[in-house]
Amino acid sequence: MTTTVSGPKIAFAADYDAPIPYMQRTRDYYQLLGFAPYRWAHFIDVPFTPLRVPLDRARVALITTAAPFQPGVGDQGPGAPYNAAAKFYTVYSTSIETVPDLRISHVGYDRLHTTAADINTYLPLTQLKNAAVAGRLGSLAPRLHGAPTNRSHRVTIETDTPELLRRCREDGADAAVLVPS
Amino acid sequence: MCHQTVSLAARHLEENGISTLVMGCAKDIVEYCGVPRFLFSDFPLGNSAGRPFDRASQAQTLELALRVLESAPGPRTTVQSPLRWSEDAAWKLDYLDLTKLSPEKIAERRKEFDEVKSVARAKRESS
Repeated sequence: MTTTVSGPKIAFAADYDAPIPYMQRTRDYYQLLGFAPYRWAHFIDVPFTPLRVPLDRARVALITTAAPFQPGVGDQGPGAPYNAAAKFYTVYSTSIETVPDLRISHVGYDRLHTTAADINTYLPLTQLKNAAVAGRLGSLAPRLHGAPTNRSHRVTIETDTPELLRRCREDGADAAVLVPS
Repeated sequence: MCHQTVSLAARHLEENGISTLVMGCAKDIVEYCGVPRFLFSDFPLGNSAGRPFDRASQAQTLELALRVLESAPGPRTTVQSPLRWSEDAAWKLDYLDLTKLSPEKIAERRKEFDEVKSVARAKRESS
């Protein structure tokens, strides 16, 4: 039996033109490779702290997952293959006076469709500085902080996030912009 | 993992009085974890802050992020950037496309994965 659909044509977007289901694809990938399924962090309750001062008076901290360039541990340049040796395992902080040399060869960014050749795609430091100069923000915290990306939730929750909080407080931050690579 | 890490950090900062905004490209991971404020760019991973060598896109992305930071009405506020990576969305089909993996390639990937894990373990132990 055939069904005829009549009426005006509706121009829907392509089915695949939706946000990529990364968790499902990673799950399927691990299964295909024969590894145990990864359990993603999941919470029902979400905290919320309204901004305590207007943004043009607030001090904003930048938190990144990018890694400081390390000479001698292999290719970390644009389009470099995944480089586990370039990973870091403890929270770091660095002055924002100049733009630090931070790379993302240690994480699984989309190497097929982008190359990480422009630091401004994963580190909005220049844009944040522009916003501070324009008076859009009160100020930018004097250091940015690096968050290690860890498969272990325990290390992230018990060690790294309290350390990030401590450093943001030290800098007098009212707000933080967090940018994964 | 990056998106999960910053989502966990955002939650912890927020619980302790610091307002947060996550800028990211992996919508499902961030929302599944649950964060207060999220600016989602539907771009390939690695472009949370805008398109490469496109200052206008980077400026627009940050401005939108700041607007979400100052005006979100409550937790789990996600705003999607109106910017498109490209006219053709076919790039979305490629990420971990398992149909393109031959058995040889699967074995190779598994070996690579184990190697990467041992490099990371050695590095972690020495740090």
